[in-house]
Amino acid sequence: MSDKKIQMIPKIRSGIVIDHIPAGDGVHILEILERDPALKNVPITFGMNYQSNKLGSKDMLKIQKDDLCERTIQHISLVSPGVTIKRIRDFEVVEKVSVQPPKEMVNLLRCLNPSCITQNEPGLKTRFILTDPQKNLVMCVYCEREFSIHELSPIV
Amino acid sequence: MKRDLISMHDLTAEDIQVYLDTATRVETISLKERFQLLQGKIMASLFFEASTRTRLSFEAAMYRLGGNVIGFAEQAATSVSKGESFSDTIHTVENYSDVIVIRHPKEGTSRHAAQISYLPVINAGDGTNQHPTQTLLDLYTIIKNFQKIEGIRIAFVGDLKYSRTVHSLLQALMKFRVNEFMLVSPDSLRLPEYLKRVETDFPITFMETKDLEDAIPYADIIYMTRIQRERFPDQIEYEKVKDAFCLNAGMLKKAPEQMKVLHPLPRVNEIAPDVDDTPHAEYFRQAKNGLTMRQAILLNVFEVTI
Repeated sequence: MSDKKIQMIPKIRSGIVIDHIPAGDGVHILEILERDPALKNVPITFGMNYQSNKLGSKDMLKIQKDDLCERTIQHISLVSPGVTIKRIRDFEVVEKVSVQPPKEMVNLLRCLNPSCITQNEPGLKTRFILTDPQKNLVMCVYCEREFSIHELSPIV
Repeated sequence: MKRDLISMHDLTAEDIQVYLDTATRVETISLKERFQLLQGKIMASLFFEASTRTRLSFEAAMYRLGGNVIGFAEQAATSVSKGESFSDTIHTVENYSDVIVIRHPKEGTSRHAAQISYLPVINAGDGTNQHPTQTLLDLYTIIKNFQKIEGIRIAFVGDLKYSRTVHSLLQALMKFRVNEFMLVSPDSLRLPEYLKRVETDFPITFMETKDLEDAIPYADIIYMTRIQRERFPDQIEYEKVKDAFCLNAGMLKKAPEQMKVLHPLPRVNEIAPDVDDTPHAEYFRQAKNGLTMRQAILLNVFEVTI
């Protein structure tokens, strides 16, 4: 067995693998998964700081459940854009997608501006538009302030 | 589809030109003819925050066009003070009127109102965000003085951080390919960076200075702003900068002949009274242009062609 294989967390028969997570971001994705009620009793394995040709160093998550809800995927795409989500069946990868933040984010993020109407009107859903995908900048549709996605806390 | 006026973000240069052309035509129509244009229409004037010029000129504009006005001039006079939500206030008012004009201290309020109401909504200022009707009247004032917008040299002075009139006008000028701006402000009130990051197909230059005297020989327009006490979270910070800039007649000796001083008003001490008597003072005519432009905006909202 090669050194690389010894390092990796065990393969799963069926489920979801989140791969190519920049080292350090895995913890933030784990927090998102913890908030998803559909994953409450699902076994999840988390590995940190693996060697990666692409990233130098990466984290990885293996989830023993066949799918993730759209909202959870969107949250992951905001926290760590570019990660790969792989669907596994009988130990084989049957589908692989790289997730990117959606162009419009409805009620996924909380606006940081305390004077924004979304912070003051009960029940009003937040809306953000992705203004710069390279720099991960978003603009609140209501107060028109621009923020880095990483400044904003997710709505759970 | 209803016509809202919420933000300069939503308007193209062509859209803005329609408002400017309508305003020009309004001035050619007699008061008697104008009075027939919006007969039977009711404007709800919802001012959750104090205003003199914007509220009075909107109401006067509606009366000049033959319409009527309902509304309030402060939040204390409404059910909001009893705990009613903003949405409920809008849904109530839309039963009684044909257009809603809103000023509110929270940013994004007009956008929210436009989304939930079937009536057209006009933003008369939302917090520190946008003030599109002021911007349109500012552009109208520029056109009346210079017969053009592209190529105009403008210096914004004072509170460039919180001033929504500066934010809106800056965005609008870029739509007309104005590519050079002088920004005069203390460090604590500089223009936010996000307003400088605009996607255009031409380069934009921002010249920043703390010295008002730099702007005077340079500009076609000096756009003065009040340092707004009510926007400062920390009053000590306000005290440090409140008297940062004061333009007086003596300073204007170095100004180009055609240079005009604009100000959205009210002023406190940033323009000395002796400037009023110089040919550069344009701010009172600018306020008068507000009445014309707001008539044009109402006509556009109601799709009345003149």
